[in-house]
Amino acid sequence: MYSKVAELVEDAERQGLPIHELMIRQEMAYSHESREEIWEKMGRNLDVMHQAVERGAAGEGVHSTTGLTGGDAVKLRKYREHGKTLSGDTMMMAVQNAMACNEVNAAMGVICATPTAGSSGTIPGILFTLTERLGLDRDQQIRFLFTAGAFGLIIANNAGIAGATGGCQAEVGSASAMGAAAAVEAAGGTPSQSAQAMAMAISNLLGLICDPVAGLVELPCVKRNAIGAGNGLIAADMALAGIVSKIPPDEVIGAMDAVGKSLPSKFRETGLGGLADTPTGRRLRASIFPNQKDPSAFRKTGA
Amino acid sequence: MGVSAGISEESGHAGDMPDDGPSSETANYKSVFDIIGPVMIGPSSSHTAGVVAIGRVVHEVFRGTPTKIVVDYYESFASTHQGHGTDFAIIGGILGFATDDRRIKNSIEIAKQRGIDLTFVEQEGKSPVGHPNTAVVNISDGEKSVSVVGVSIGGGVAQIKRIVMDGFDVTPRGPLPMLLLRGSAADNERLGSKLQGVSLIGDVRSFGKEGTDERIYEYDLDAPLPPNTVEELRKANDRLFYLR
Repeated sequence: MYSKVAELVEDAERQGLPIHELMIRQEMAYSHESREEIWEKMGRNLDVMHQAVERGAAGEGVHSTTGLTGGDAVKLRKYREHGKTLSGDTMMMAVQNAMACNEVNAAMGVICATPTAGSSGTIPGILFTLTERLGLDRDQQIRFLFTAGAFGLIIANNAGIAGATGGCQAEVGSASAMGAAAAVEAAGGTPSQSAQAMAMAISNLLGLICDPVAGLVELPCVKRNAIGAGNGLIAADMALAGIVSKIPPDEVIGAMDAVGKSLPSKFRETGLGGLADTPTGRRLRASIFPNQKDPSAFRKTGA
Repeated sequence: MGVSAGISEESGHAGDMPDDGPSSETANYKSVFDIIGPVMIGPSSSHTAGVVAIGRVVHEVFRGTPTKIVVDYYESFASTHQGHGTDFAIIGGILGFATDDRRIKNSIEIAKQRGIDLTFVEQEGKSPVGHPNTAVVNISDGEKSVSVVGVSIGGGVAQIKRIVMDGFDVTPRGPLPMLLLRGSAADNERLGSKLQGVSLIGDVRSFGKEGTDERIYEYDLDAPLPPNTVEELRKANDRLFYLR
């Protein structure tokens, strides 16, 4: 099992194999399942992601029960139809896909956690945009997910992927980095360039706090996935241009771990800091949970 | 590491253990589907899928219909379980439902229909095991009671930090999957021989209690066991618990 990015890249380059292939082989050794079984399982995850992205942007979109989120992916779809976006249609398609998926998540719809539910829009945001941009077929989309997973496993085991332990950098930051690395491979880049994209994507989101309003995975989570997808594409393009992270990828992961451990708990998914602790954030919490006036006042409830 | 490795007589806490070696052996996340997956109902993998996993461990070690379940939440769980579906997730797991089982959403009602008394407590203090997503489940049926301390570490993956059952106080290393066997040294040897060829993480550890030679043996598995293997092992010994 690969515990460091450097080992993964070295093996891929020495054996002349793409990273998705190394990941598939590692998974076969771990699960004792056949290549076909693993491939099909990933295909089913791909289908769930695709359905969520479609559902969130179709018709009037989806809306969460609290009313905090929903309908923004539809706004982007309509905005794009006018064709005058500032950052170009590829970027806005990624943002739409990411937000659509996370609006479905906030509305308690079915999603595939990549790596978490709160960050589940970032990778579909990147993947389905590249699907159109590069004309990826189904097999290439599945390979993308294995490559993303290979980098995600290393990040998760060396730093973590929970907002409660590492902040949003660990969720959307990790997803953005995984997507960036896989995007490089899908575009024909080298394993080393994938690793550089991963490092730059994490570096650009380092320190991002997890501050959900009312403790719910809605504000600012849905929009954070927009920046996760955009940042992933930017980092991938930078790496494909030959730009490298001066700090080696594994050290960047180490920095994310250290930053996460130094974050006060109010910035780690408690809903007590950042945007959650603004006057409006507190008011929203009080209106959604009227029995929980003061977030620091814990109480006992029967079900 | 093979099963034939030595058995350490362990009664302290997992945190007191020496370093288990290189990170690949202690990895929390082992499968690509821990990262790309699970497919689940939103909105939070830590608060739902990971909690279902903790509940399913309770289901496996309790084995029976409870009359009373008390869940203590700590830190992030205490302040954010509301609205995340954490309550129905943990009860769904305790009832034995899988992460993608549609009954999960109705698990509170199902439990009440079965006459189970449910209480959720938002604890003010720090987690007893030092993790912000900590749930402590106390479950009983009037005769026996079991307590399980689980943490949800992100992406729907859980660890089990402590199990108190029938006077045994088990503090496993944490990562799943694992096998727990309650029995004599001879029972443990029989299990060990059946598990030849199964890859383990670290030594087999065991936990005793005063006044009996019986112990609870902890086997930390490198990978899930095939379903038919689990079935065979359970047939051979009904005091074997497979936590995954």
